[in-house]
Amino acid sequence: MTVSAPSDPMLPPRRRPWGIVVLVAVVLVVIGYLAFSSVGNALVYYLTPTELVSRGEAAVGETVRLGGLVEAGSISGPATDLTFVVTDGDNAIAVHSTVAPTRSFRERSGAVVEGTLGADGVFEATQVIVKHDENYEVPPSGEIPSEQVIDPGNEP
Amino acid sequence: MIPSMGHASVLIGLGLTVYAAVAFVLAARGGDPRLNTSARRAVIGSFVAAGIGCAAMVISLLTHDFGVRYVAENNATTTPPFIGVISLWAALEGSILFWALLATGWAALVLHRYRDRYRQLMPWVGATLATVNAFFFAVMTWPGNPFALTSPVAAEGSGPNALLQNHPFMALHPPLLYLGYTGMAVPFAFGVAALVTKRLDEEWLRIVRRWTLIPWTFLTLGIVAGAWWSYEVLGWGGYWAWDPVENAALLPWLTATAFIHSAMVAERRGGLRIWTSALVIATFVLTLVGTFLTRSGIVASVHSFTQSPIGPWFLAAILVALTAALGLLVWRLPDLSGDGRPSGTVSRESAFLLNNVLFLGLTFAVLFGTLLPLLVAATSGDTISVGAPWFDTVTVPIFVALLFLMGVGPALPWGTASWSTMRERFAMPLLIAVLVTAGAVGLGLREVASLGTLGLAVFVGGIMIDEVIRGTRARARGRNEDHATAAWRLTTRNRRRYGGYGVHLGVLVMAVAVAISSGLASDRTVTLAPGETVTIGGYQIRHDRLVVEPLSTDVRVIETRAEVTYSGAQNGSLDTALRDYPNSQAAIATPAVRTSLAEDLYVTLLASDSATGVVTLHLFVNPLVVWIWIGGAIVGIGAVFAIWPERRARRVSVEQRQRAPAAASVEGA
Repeated sequence: MTVSAPSDPMLPPRRRPWGIVVLVAVVLVVIGYLAFSSVGNALVYYLTPTELVSRGEAAVGETVRLGGLVEAGSISGPATDLTFVVTDGDNAIAVHSTVAPTRSFRERSGAVVEGTLGADGVFEATQVIVKHDENYEVPPSGEIPSEQVIDPGNEP
Repeated sequence: MIPSMGHASVLIGLGLTVYAAVAFVLAARGGDPRLNTSARRAVIGSFVAAGIGCAAMVISLLTHDFGVRYVAENNATTTPPFIGVISLWAALEGSILFWALLATGWAALVLHRYRDRYRQLMPWVGATLATVNAFFFAVMTWPGNPFALTSPVAAEGSGPNALLQNHPFMALHPPLLYLGYTGMAVPFAFGVAALVTKRLDEEWLRIVRRWTLIPWTFLTLGIVAGAWWSYEVLGWGGYWAWDPVENAALLPWLTATAFIHSAMVAERRGGLRIWTSALVIATFVLTLVGTFLTRSGIVASVHSFTQSPIGPWFLAAILVALTAALGLLVWRLPDLSGDGRPSGTVSRESAFLLNNVLFLGLTFAVLFGTLLPLLVAATSGDTISVGAPWFDTVTVPIFVALLFLMGVGPALPWGTASWSTMRERFAMPLLIAVLVTAGAVGLGLREVASLGTLGLAVFVGGIMIDEVIRGTRARARGRNEDHATAAWRLTTRNRRRYGGYGVHLGVLVMAVAVAISSGLASDRTVTLAPGETVTIGGYQIRHDRLVVEPLSTDVRVIETRAEVTYSGAQNGSLDTALRDYPNSQAAIATPAVRTSLAEDLYVTLLASDSATGVVTLHLFVNPLVVWIWIGGAIVGIGAVFAIWPERRARRVSVEQRQRAPAAASVEGA
């Protein structure tokens, strides 16, 4: 007579649920893939005009955030077809924007514009964020302009 | 006088919480049982102290006592009383004071409620909660003193944060969020206590699940209220921007939600003890991380109002909590091993396991995206930002998968599901979902993501409704009740299950509203002279006139207002404005939102020229947005239904109390 393992119907023998292990592994791989495959496109660099200029040709077509002061006397055009110059004192970049900034946008105010530098040297803005810190100064190269409060009126 | 009283109450609070922590540990290690009672009274005393502190601050704000720096920075003589009161949480120091009130309140409530039960567990619960609260009092004593004085005393303060003044929602969103945040210390304390005493049993799971669900409800409502506030106030036409501070609120919500689900499996099938205790620890640590991100000014956000010296304190607290709790967990690992009963690949356990993997995946993804700018800045010195598109790409598929599990999971049996059960339960809802989706295509909906979410939501909702109907019928037949009685008794006798269904139903409503509102929204930026008309989404929008005048309620605020009439699905007129507050360089947007059940018409003033009356407006037509808030309310109702004590249990407790007033109550748990 063969003695089998105790077979209590209430306590089935332990078995590894391999199906679920595979499923969990697949889910983790998919999440990891989603996170890392798209991260390259999602990162947006903050640059000062000097940093943008020093990138040379490589900067053309790359989406960046350009931070600086709006140069005095440089604003022209209606709100939905605006041109102005962003400067950090050493270098200046001409910006064209079809998106209306908030009204606090004015000469000598701090601004961060998101967009791309065109081959013609004009920065085409897709978003204009006005810094409304009273003490806003142009950040030195490599420092974080993001520490200032962002005007929520123009968040994405 | 009043400020010194406030400051004294903070110091007393610190003393009481430190004493309570020490006394609880001594009591737990076999000391005099009276220590336990006195420690509990000290915690209740710290709650009273925090209350006096908050009252002193509110009185200082209402009496415009500009000798207190916090009042000088957040109040002015013209500030209305209501704004004065809610300025308690307008800035860092006041927030922490209010925070301490809520945190000590939770501690006092829990310790009082379970004063005669779980005699081994409760001293450690008390010690943990008192330590956490002592930290907040310490922050108020050293780096973030709310009652710090200034001299010379100014005649006029700089007034409350303009964003705070501009909408009454600020009275609602922070308290709800803080109640959720601070309440997460309770499950953490039970987790620590159970690890120390090795009592991670099923009773422990039941208490912790309940005490996670309560703050979870507040956290959920706080997040939804925050999204609503953002939509009504900030004027960019949306409600969620993956802002670091929004993420900070979401992170503990994700792990708490994962815990609530895994606790069900652990309770039912045993096992998962390491996992569940790790989740309560993670949830609490993430609330500290969230506070750190919000209040240290380390990340750029709409919320980073002030930079302050509390950053290092919170960083230290995070490290201490994480090290201590994880150390305890690792130390106890030998006692925690031992799995639960086995189950098949297609079963409710698997669905819950997958649910937890997905929630944890979401947590890591959101944490990664939020912290990446900090990591990159620290390693390469470059300043970067991670945009909303990245978060959408990563999280939307996970949310969709969770939506699917939400319907399938609860309908699967424990153990192993058979094909016939699945066919029986899923065939009909699947058919209805396909028909509804086809109908939506017929009506002109073409967006794939919106269609998918709609179909999935109908499928999931169908499974739930089918289950309730099935249960009601069975009960009505078996007990000879009419259908209404049967449905009421079925749900009220299984509150957790059917409350959970209510929560899921609310999430479904929100999911459909989010998918359709983001898929079908239209927006347009237009520049209009007075009298000009423009069309968007079936509405005719006419700019009537531009008015610049001081606000009638506060003459120091200048309002630039565009008066607009609209006709289409809704008709009427609206005012959309920019307000210049004396203490804010930027004008504060005051968008006009015309809400209907079908769609919102949303108009923001971007720019204006007072000489010609020409305005630039941002117009949005956002379908179904109101259903996001309605869905949030349904989630809240479902959660309260689940938390509400079972009727039978309450009756027993009343009888018991009548028989023996001093006896333990069995209510709740």
